[in-house]
Amino acid sequence: MSKILGIDLGTTNSAMAIIEVGQPRILENKEGMRTTPSITAIGKNGERYVGVTAKRQAVTNPGNTIFSVKRLIGRRFSDEEIKHDKKLLPYEIKEGANGGVDVKMGDKWYKPAEISAMVLQKLKNDAEDRLGEKITEAIITVPAYFDDAQRKATKDAGEIAGLNVKRVINEPTAAALAYGLDKKKDEKIVVYDFGGGTFDVSVLEIGDDTIEVKSTGGDTHLGGDDLDQKIIGYFVEEFKKESGVDIFKDQLALQRLKDAAEKAKHELSSTLQTEVNVPFLTADSSGARHFSISFTRAKLEELVGDFIKKSIELTKKTVEESGFKISEINEVILVGGQTRMPLMSEEVKKLFGKEPHKDINPDEVVALGAAIQGGIMQGEIRDVLLLDVTPLSLGIETLGGVFTKMIEKNTTVPTSKNQSFSTAADNQPSVEIHILQGERAMAHDNKTLGNFILDGIPPAPRGVPQVEVSFDIDANGILNVKAKDKATGKEQSVRIEGSSGLTDEEKKRMTADAEKFAAEDTKRKEMAEVKNLAETLIYTTEKMVKENDAKIKEDDKKDIGSKVESLKIKVKEENLEEIKKATEELSNVAQKVGGELYKAGQEQAGQTEQPKTSPNPENEIPKEDPHK
Amino acid sequence: MEKNKEKETGELEKCQKDRDEYLNNWKRERADFLNYKKDEAKRLENALEFGKIIIFEDFIGVKDELERALRWGEPEEHELNTGWREGIEMTLKKFEDTLKKYGVERIKVEGAFDPLLHEAVEGTEGDKLEEIRAGYAMRGRVIRPARVKIIK
Repeated sequence: MSKILGIDLGTTNSAMAIIEVGQPRILENKEGMRTTPSITAIGKNGERYVGVTAKRQAVTNPGNTIFSVKRLIGRRFSDEEIKHDKKLLPYEIKEGANGGVDVKMGDKWYKPAEISAMVLQKLKNDAEDRLGEKITEAIITVPAYFDDAQRKATKDAGEIAGLNVKRVINEPTAAALAYGLDKKKDEKIVVYDFGGGTFDVSVLEIGDDTIEVKSTGGDTHLGGDDLDQKIIGYFVEEFKKESGVDIFKDQLALQRLKDAAEKAKHELSSTLQTEVNVPFLTADSSGARHFSISFTRAKLEELVGDFIKKSIELTKKTVEESGFKISEINEVILVGGQTRMPLMSEEVKKLFGKEPHKDINPDEVVALGAAIQGGIMQGEIRDVLLLDVTPLSLGIETLGGVFTKMIEKNTTVPTSKNQSFSTAADNQPSVEIHILQGERAMAHDNKTLGNFILDGIPPAPRGVPQVEVSFDIDANGILNVKAKDKATGKEQSVRIEGSSGLTDEEKKRMTADAEKFAAEDTKRKEMAEVKNLAETLIYTTEKMVKENDAKIKEDDKKDIGSKVESLKIKVKEENLEEIKKATEELSNVAQKVGGELYKAGQEQAGQTEQPKTSPNPENEIPKEDPHK
Repeated sequence: MEKNKEKETGELEKCQKDRDEYLNNWKRERADFLNYKKDEAKRLENALEFGKIIIFEDFIGVKDELERALRWGEPEEHELNTGWREGIEMTLKKFEDTLKKYGVERIKVEGAFDPLLHEAVEGTEGDKLEEIRAGYAMRGRVIRPARVKIIK
């Protein structure tokens, strides 16, 4: 069964995705990029370019480079939008045979659908290259406001490209599918899509089997490009103020400022301030001129605030038109790369009073949704095979009260994990397996699910016995924990039902607690680990002294003795830095003495035999110790 | 009796059908998983390469500025010190050699405009190219195209 390609055929960029192992995945194009510019061109020698290559030659070949053809597809030449766009487009368009639009590229006139078909054809070919199989079927997305003629023309474009278009779906619907919101009956959803060149907002309502578009709005000439222009304008002004040089007409200098503006805009999504440095931007009679400013997020927000305000106003209007109140909206989805800007998601959040969905890459969410639609139609997304995940981490308590995770949160079940542990004391006859669930670093902050004791461990020094602990969760969420002593084969186990029987509230609280106490927990865990390390060092050092009593100098013995005592006191006092210091001091002297023993041993053995015991106490630290 | 037998046969057939379906789905799932693992290995390799490309791209940006500085000529106070230019040129050479070590090579700007390697930033007439900003490729994959001006 060949795959159905999900295609987001955008005004500026397009993306494609397929379903793989029940999950949607973006397919990269031949150039290795996850999105493809929706641009086609015919070069001077008649060669055809599509995607990034077309974009790279646009400046030198503006009349034959066709972009934004989505603005023309399925429209009538007499449409108001066409009259408006005609003035902005550098390529020629004219009225076609049946009142449609024709586009000139090279010496030929094309229908917009034929131009779009070239982009689709490239996507199809690149997908086939990636997957090593033929692609014949596709789902293509269109804006929710597209009328029948525009949808039909988009479908035609697919057919021209050799694709059987199984369905043309709305972009906001695809976004809702990507977030799995199609299952939330009766919910009302707003999709806020701020793209490179267009802003679309849609209100959806989920029915029994359908997702209905209640209203659409936006601005077909508002997008991320406007924000970029604003930033570049600001840079040009600042440079003029500083140097007195106007570079507005200098294309090459502007290009460098454009690069810097884009980079700064991206950086300010994650930091509050960035340095913009463009050395040797231009020159005047006094020599080279550099551009250097400190650009803050606040300044960026001040520059582009009006665009965002406008989008929020349009969103309000569109919700009004849907007949719903703002307070009735259940979910909000952000689409389009520009929505990564923190101010934008904050403003949307402020309007609706709820956190918008933005976990899925906003440049890719529509294509992923299209792939999901394909998967549903093909039955690839099998409901029976929807697998659960563990809502919280599962693990056991180990030395020092530390919670050691065995199965991480969000692991798909059924699953199993094994890990070997050892004893914490010499001749320890049993280990207690204390099973817990939660995200906190220390065991006692998490929820106990059960415990049992594995006894009959033969006498042995600490760290020597090997106890294999295995966790197994079946598809029904039933947890089996087993501990087995590898030496005797003796084992003990417990079966815990309803390990995921937590209420949603409990899960939320436990996850929130983990975040809230993260810093504190890290400190406590570090304390426990440092103490464990100190105690292990004390143990191994004392053992070394005992075993080599005759070979160690009295002075060294005294030194070690006092350092061991001092470390023991520090461990009791629980001062992290002091313990670390005392541990290091003891470790130094132990290593020195150990080194001498090693040397003496080698001399004795005529430098041929390796010493039986390792001189480095760290080698004897057991990796994990269950708490006794 | 007969009825019971019929019922049992029906149930058995249903069980067999279910079993086949489950087994089939299981096999499909296993196959999907194994294929996924193979693809994932390839993707990981790609991702590593891509990670390198991102880092190289940033460092190449710094190299651009050094080259630009050199193009602007030497500062006056160094005019007599001919070693200055030589030193900077050596530094740049070292930079380039280091990139080469990792398979990163400068894209040659010669012959006809090729949008696979070049990005036009100015000029519509002519068939010659002038390099405005160097382009680089790593083992055939373009890190960034050479920015060129089309001239007569």
